[in-house]
Amino acid sequence: MTDRDAELSGRVASSTDDADRDVLARVSNGELDALQELYDRYRTMAYSIALRITADASLAEDVVQDAFLGAWRNAARYAEARGSVKTWLLSIVHHRAVDAVRRRRPTTELPEAEAPPPPALTLPDIWPEVAGNLDRAEIAAALARLSDVQREAIELAYFGGLTQVEIADRTGAPLGTVKSRVRLGLLALRDALTGEAVS
Amino acid sequence: MTTRPTPMTHEEAVDLAPLYVLDALDEADMAAVREHLATCPEPHAEFEELGGVVPYLLDDPATELVDPPAALGERIMAAAAADLAERTGPAAERTTPPPVASAPAPAPIPFPSADERTASAERTRGRTSPLEWAFRIAAVVVVAVLIGWNLLLTRQVSDLQQQANAAGQYRTAVTEVLDVAAQPGSQTALLAPQQPGGPRGIAAVASDGSVQFAMQDLAPTSGTQVYETWAILPGSNPVPLGSFQVDASGTASFTSKQGPTGPGMAVAVSREPQSGATAPTEVVSVGVTATPSS
Repeated sequence: MTDRDAELSGRVASSTDDADRDVLARVSNGELDALQELYDRYRTMAYSIALRITADASLAEDVVQDAFLGAWRNAARYAEARGSVKTWLLSIVHHRAVDAVRRRRPTTELPEAEAPPPPALTLPDIWPEVAGNLDRAEIAAALARLSDVQREAIELAYFGGLTQVEIADRTGAPLGTVKSRVRLGLLALRDALTGEAVS
Repeated sequence: MTTRPTPMTHEEAVDLAPLYVLDALDEADMAAVREHLATCPEPHAEFEELGGVVPYLLDDPATELVDPPAALGERIMAAAAADLAERTGPAAERTTPPPVASAPAPAPIPFPSADERTASAERTRGRTSPLEWAFRIAAVVVVAVLIGWNLLLTRQVSDLQQQANAAGQYRTAVTEVLDVAAQPGSQTALLAPQQPGGPRGIAAVASDGSVQFAMQDLAPTSGTQVYETWAILPGSNPVPLGSFQVDASGTASFTSKQGPTGPGMAVAVSREPQSGATAPTEVVSVGVTATPSS
């Protein structure tokens, strides 16, 4: 990516973030048309993530509905410092999808009915300058740099809804190895993404 | 849910950071890490370092982009509209300030405080029309009817559950009687009520003179009241075999002490003001024994 491209991409992302925050402010004020606007912007991503995690169209619909209604009721809790509206919203979708998958799995410990916000909502986004400068192809390139076992561990955790114990059972790897693979994978991903952003 | 016996140490929390940021811990560990982060004064750079990566996974190109069904959006909007109506009263009364095209993007507007909502609700009530009052009263009546109906159903379900429990207890008691009746030298008796609708049951007299009773439809006892069991040989005075009390189920399974046995013996149950009766006060159920045919 050239500096010019990055600058343009950053401007577009920044503009999108501003527009999203504007919409979310209206959502927090109880404006239904703002919720419709937010849904129109992110319905495909939200449904696609929910569908990937649940592998069940009906369950994915329930997850998306639950997530958007959660956003509708809790829009005022959104804090700009913790990341973009898009990240906030899709993290809710992710968290609800994981909950749904675990509830459906009889051997898994059920989460509490009123689950707390996912970690992504409670942690600051540490690279706000990176956020707008990456597209899907660059993220794909960063993921491709992970080893197969690192990518598998992260995918089973994040998109499979599995706990660390379940990942260990599934892969046959010791628990410590699972933690190590996820940790090193996330660090490698960070390095790759930072490199992409800088380049 | 499994629970952790002690608070998580800083080292344990940091060790779980990679799984925590991916939401890949079970609920007990998630809660323990969350509690640690909320209370531990030490820095948690590992969490921020790893957690910052996670949002980018949402853009993983391996996620196939699929449009949701059109009906989903309609359902969400309908649910949100219902939520709004519930939150603020009739939607038609809600006023939304018109957007100002040239104005800068507004900061997020928090939901009104409890006091503001109360004040708003009072202003709204002041504008309520008679027709709306009629609707509200009708709604209250409907809710009251539904609550009453629900209470009635709950009571009926509770009664049925109690009956089912009593039936189960009686079946178990009868099984115990049949076990005794199956032993050599035993005798059985069907106990019939002395008053219509009174207690009835079955008893088996073992060869050692102890009697196993299974009774139902007994009135619950209270205070010192008991039911006393009796063995009555022809031409002899009743011999007390021991007493028991009964709860609301009205059923009883009772094994008496050893008593006399003999041909034509009857067994009886009487209601007594207290234990220790030497003669029956009010016999409520009685039956004559017979040797089971082999």
